[in-house]
Amino acid sequence: MKSKSLFALSLFAFIAFNLTAAESSPAAPVKADGFSFVKTVGVISEYTLDSNGLDVLLMPEHSSPTLTLMVTYHVGSRNEVTGTTGATHLLEHLMFKGSPNYNDAKGNSVKQYLESIGGQYNATTWLDRTNYYATIGSEHLEGYMAIEADRMRNLWLREQDRRPEMTVVRNEYERGENSPFQALIKEIFAAAYIAHPYHHPTIGWHSDFERVPISKLREFYDTFYWPNNATVSVIGDFEPAHALALIKKYYGAYPKSPAPIPELYTVEPEQSGPRHVTVKRAGQLGVVAVGHKIPAATNPDFATVQILSAILTDGKNSRLYKALTDKNLTVDVQAFLGQNHDPSMHIIFAPLAPGVAHEQVEKIIYDEIEKLKKDGVTAAEVEAAAAKILADAAFQRDGSFAIAGNLNEDIAAGDWTLYYGIEEATRKVTPADVQRVANKYLGVDQSTAGWFIPIVPDAHAAAK
Amino acid sequence: MKRFPFLVLALCALLVSSAHAQIASHVIRAKIAGIDVIAYPTGVQDVVTIHGSLPAGDAFAGEGNIAIPTLVGMMLDKGTTTEDKFAITEKLERVGATISFDVGTEMLAVSAKCLKKDAPLVIGLIAEQLRTPAFSAEEFDKVKKQFVGGLRRQLESTDFRASDAFTRAVYPVGHPNRQPAPEELIAAAESAKLDEAKAFHAKYYGPAHFTLVVVGDLDVPQIQSDIGKTFAGWTGGADVIHPAKATMSDAPKDQNVFMADKTSVTVILGQATGLRYSDPDTQALRMGTAILGSGFTGRLMANVRDKEGLTYGIGSTVARDTFSDGDWHITATFAPTLLEKGIESTRRELKKWYENGVTDDELERHKGDVVGTFKVGLATTDGMAGALLGAIQRGYDVTWLDEYPKKIESLSTGDVNAAIKKYLRPDSMFLIKAGSIPGAK
Repeated sequence: MKSKSLFALSLFAFIAFNLTAAESSPAAPVKADGFSFVKTVGVISEYTLDSNGLDVLLMPEHSSPTLTLMVTYHVGSRNEVTGTTGATHLLEHLMFKGSPNYNDAKGNSVKQYLESIGGQYNATTWLDRTNYYATIGSEHLEGYMAIEADRMRNLWLREQDRRPEMTVVRNEYERGENSPFQALIKEIFAAAYIAHPYHHPTIGWHSDFERVPISKLREFYDTFYWPNNATVSVIGDFEPAHALALIKKYYGAYPKSPAPIPELYTVEPEQSGPRHVTVKRAGQLGVVAVGHKIPAATNPDFATVQILSAILTDGKNSRLYKALTDKNLTVDVQAFLGQNHDPSMHIIFAPLAPGVAHEQVEKIIYDEIEKLKKDGVTAAEVEAAAAKILADAAFQRDGSFAIAGNLNEDIAAGDWTLYYGIEEATRKVTPADVQRVANKYLGVDQSTAGWFIPIVPDAHAAAK
Repeated sequence: MKRFPFLVLALCALLVSSAHAQIASHVIRAKIAGIDVIAYPTGVQDVVTIHGSLPAGDAFAGEGNIAIPTLVGMMLDKGTTTEDKFAITEKLERVGATISFDVGTEMLAVSAKCLKKDAPLVIGLIAEQLRTPAFSAEEFDKVKKQFVGGLRRQLESTDFRASDAFTRAVYPVGHPNRQPAPEELIAAAESAKLDEAKAFHAKYYGPAHFTLVVVGDLDVPQIQSDIGKTFAGWTGGADVIHPAKATMSDAPKDQNVFMADKTSVTVILGQATGLRYSDPDTQALRMGTAILGSGFTGRLMANVRDKEGLTYGIGSTVARDTFSDGDWHITATFAPTLLEKGIESTRRELKKWYENGVTDDELERHKGDVVGTFKVGLATTDGMAGALLGAIQRGYDVTWLDEYPKKIESLSTGDVNAAIKKYLRPDSMFLIKAGSIPGAK
């Protein structure tokens, strides 16, 4: 243990020297035995592990002696059906319960290992994907990869672990239900999607995640957790040839999936009229939300939708800030913009100021949208929105963890080159594009609105 | 792993020869226009991150209107004497830059992010907004309503309600860490006068104890020059309030904040410590606290969550000790039906930890975690800027960032267990529950 502590200390000392010397550089592809080079875009190079189809993305960036290793499985709640909703997420939790090789009893579980080296780690599940990641000192790449690769195929998945973890997930669900916003977004998605599995929440319906048997979770794991359904990304301070050798050593141990990964073929039917949901609970203030279906992240219109969203809701010069917050009708205005594999949603959230009626705010939101559709937007609005998006993209390259988080969503959407491609598309958006896209996607008949109505028996008592 | 031994040896040598001068030696610190300016260039491309703070937080309300410090902070981005808020927003948006202000217990915090070429613009706007807010009556009226609306929104959160009540349980009246009751804050905001805001700004805003940290892709001489020009002639400012240590509060030990229709209850169990961050025993207590309740391998998560499945999240921390003596607490969430069982398990782990202490093995593992986490945290401009500002706020020089890992490494099991026993009293801790508590109203 002594040497481990010294090691951590000495690496800390190394930081200051590297910080001033390092910089990003275009990643020249390397030749590595067992890999096929696919392409380089920007400073990211893609490879495929020939033996099993594992997709690999490498982004060397030496601004600090740290890196992020992330594995993205192309499975999310869109791959679930009634009865197994929430299975992807519950399985993500069970991925921390150990395998015969790495577990708590041996003292080398993924949690124990990463916390002994100060790794920042976690896992997340969303509509289209599940990811596992850690940001660590560069010297720990092999140690973490060995454990991460092991749980791809060797997970225990025991009933004795499912039972307590199910109640952990139940409390996660309960915490979410405490929030008016989360309760509302769940209802809006459920109303907006009838056929497509975006209908159900990623955490699942209460009865499903409580009762799903371990055999179903095993079936899920054995269907989707294979190298040919995963992307391994390494971002930060590493040498590509060395990283590829490690990936081959640890992930090359597995074959391709024995059966093809199931494809989702359900398409949401076109919505032909406005929908409306209401959530009534104890609370302080109301919320109005107005949602519309938007195209998938890979659609050429997606960059324009981002600009449109910013013009409507981002910052003090946005149209809805001026129409609502600046007039003391709401305390804020925000938007959810789903960057997803399939057509997702744009939802405007307007938390009401005290004493303001839902009807008034909802009408103003719809009126502002119609005004934008009819009269269009100015070049200055488009330029400001694009500048914010492009600067934010630069800010999001500050550290390997932030890069991994963004790249993860592009991988999940089905095209990792969106990491650069959406920026390129953003630069080309014109006011005419924004008006066209607003008319195409923000139709009243394609909208799903929601109200959170607070029940306040005694406002004075509630404030105590 | 075979390729690393040489690196380890080389780095150890580096450490010895460059002791006390690793991060600090790359800091460029200067007093400019009365402001303590700390610049730290890194290898990141094109990004500049600014974090700063000056003592003008809620504690400075003193005997006056308790909402005024926050209302003044909220007025900073609502226009200046030369430009309205929309013009300032447009300047920032045109280049994708951001500036935000946040009022805390002791400090007004300034945060900004921009591309390298836009640093002069952003520094200029920070100066303009801090020095010459417009204080228009119309904007002040809006800000008051936003303050009340924002607070009412927070009242829907079980986490906020539990934490808010906890501060009033453990800190006596007059202590900066004690939060006013929400209804008092709402009444204060509604009755606040514009003249009070102007007077507060005149009295407390100034360079005297203002620290500005700039990290990233920097042209340091240019940044120093920009700060010198835009803040020239600014005077005033107040020192941080260092109150006397809190005496034990006589508030009820067991408090319920009932909230209808909540599916999860937030629980806080803790006490005031009487310790500031810079006190000699603080690192030992913090290390012991991490072993109890930090990460997934801390005892609380390993047992109450992983083994028993009673909660999604539980942890322990030492908090609010940067400027004054702080507190120690466990936070957890439980379903109403599992509340009593959850609290029982939490108390069991707390008792075992307090009575038996931590083990040598736990201490070694958590040293690796704490030092490694610190290192990983410094890998971004935000992380580095926050760490540099935090060191200054805690009363250290920037060399503290180089010394911190050594301080952690030097802790012994005896230090940790003695600090736990010396500062904590599990039998007399306060227990706050917020949510739909069974049997409560």
